[in-house]
Amino acid sequence: MNATKHITFSPARIAAIASNTLLELVRLKVFYFMLIFALLLIGSSAFMVRFTFQQQFQVLKDVSLGAMSIFTWLLATLSTAMLLPKDIEDRTLYTILAKPVPRLEYLLGKLLGVLAMLAIALVFMSALFLVVLYWREQIVLAETARTTAPEELDAALREVRGLTFNINLLPGIGFIYLKAAVVAAMTLLLSTFASSWIFTVIVSVMMYVIGHVQPIAREYWLGAIPGGTVASPVLKILLGLIAVVFPDFQLFNLVDDIVVGNAVSAVMFMKTAGLGFGYVFIYTLVGYLMFANKEL
Amino acid sequence: MPDPAISIHNVTKTYPIPFRKEIVVAVKNLSLDVEPGQVYGLLGPNGSGKSTTMKIVLGLVRPTSGKTEIFGRSSTEVESREDVGFLPENPYFYKFLTGEETIQFYGKICGLSGAKLRERTKELLALVGLENAAKRRIGGYSKGMLQRIGLAQALVQEPRLLVLDEPTAGVDPAGSREIRDLILDFKKRGLTVLLCSHLLSQVQEICDRIGILHEGVLVREGRLDELISIQNQTELILENASPELLAVIAREASAGGARLVEQRKPQTTLEQYFLDVTGGRK
Repeated sequence: MNATKHITFSPARIAAIASNTLLELVRLKVFYFMLIFALLLIGSSAFMVRFTFQQQFQVLKDVSLGAMSIFTWLLATLSTAMLLPKDIEDRTLYTILAKPVPRLEYLLGKLLGVLAMLAIALVFMSALFLVVLYWREQIVLAETARTTAPEELDAALREVRGLTFNINLLPGIGFIYLKAAVVAAMTLLLSTFASSWIFTVIVSVMMYVIGHVQPIAREYWLGAIPGGTVASPVLKILLGLIAVVFPDFQLFNLVDDIVVGNAVSAVMFMKTAGLGFGYVFIYTLVGYLMFANKEL
Repeated sequence: MPDPAISIHNVTKTYPIPFRKEIVVAVKNLSLDVEPGQVYGLLGPNGSGKSTTMKIVLGLVRPTSGKTEIFGRSSTEVESREDVGFLPENPYFYKFLTGEETIQFYGKICGLSGAKLRERTKELLALVGLENAAKRRIGGYSKGMLQRIGLAQALVQEPRLLVLDEPTAGVDPAGSREIRDLILDFKKRGLTVLLCSHLLSQVQEICDRIGILHEGVLVREGRLDELISIQNQTELILENASPELLAVIAREASAGGARLVEQRKPQTTLEQYFLDVTGGRK
């Protein structure tokens, strides 16, 4: 008689698959991406000495948050795209699904493994970014203290501090993560029916691009911008469908506003976070429905 | 009467050909039972439907019609796989894991943990003779070692049924013998084994019963000894028989209405000869 008793839905099984996926990505050395990020950060800092301190902090935040957004997107797309096809090609999927493992748990385990890897990568990049930001701030503060008259010093130091760390950076980084999570769930869905990982990557990139341009197209066709046109009812339905299938990735770019000093309202934060989690849930659910009926 | 280990009822599996109206019939109206404790050999040329049948039994593929059961539970239920261990043909596993980590991973997804899992891992590594390679990455394993770690993962949750697809494919004779001995050991322990293999001599050595598939149809099925014995002939093996004695036997046989079909020296198998010459592994 076998040594275990089957549990219909087991978080322990999902955790085992997730930690194995994370280990796979770690041993595939995906974190080498981080070195490029570090070099980019240090390199951009070296060019800043000629700028005013306002420009320095602006460029540092722009470069760092932009690079974080691109790297997490690349990591999410490339690492997720290869997971399923590789397991099928190596027949490891057969050995896993021939055990008492429901397909939903396998898929969730894979997704959570990628999300854990993205979280580690983003925490590392954020820490590096904040350290460099703090380091530049200390340099500018010392310089300001040296060159500013005593009666104006307090105001000058406050201005410098106001331009560096801003608590709104944290939700901004959160949105970068959420955007990458949506991309990972979307790519995983694609890989459940794609014939190869290259196809998955190409379609995922296309969906990412469409997700960024669709709000502009929507506004143009719905006459919301000057020079735009008013769409026919059929086109409106089509635009509605595109808006449902392809997430509006521009919504997650709140970090651009945060960099220029704008705060994100609690309502906006909740709405965007809800949208992100909603897309992750829907993509995972559809991915499961595709995978549940897949002939292996 | 206990439930059969595997029960296949009128299973048909067809695949549509994309962009055409034609279909490919992989398995046609297949019915067979594998009783608990049996070693059952599923034979057939390439493309005869063996792997599809195995996948249907394991719930990896849905039959177009018909049903399969494992110890009385439908193969479509995830729970039915509690009792199954599967070794696919040419498995690769996760190259980034060590042998020990591989067994632990499969143990965890079967619900094992802690000391029980560590103990089971150790036990299985010893059973398949990989204790010394436990800390090595799977990527560096030879073909024979991969098959053995594959057997270990298949056994991790102590299943009652083992499904083995070409377990000795690409393995050298000594490794092949070791795997054969392991299967015989499983049989002694009362495990049921469904075996797909092209190595007919090996199938003949270890299987109790066989089924032969051809173009998706089960063309022969039954007890191996009954299927391959020649009913109207008898084999005598004598040791130290003189030529005179042999002549007497031949004469008596003829007088009794029988015909001496062949008289020859028995031969060992090429596998046994090879193992004797190379010293085998054991």
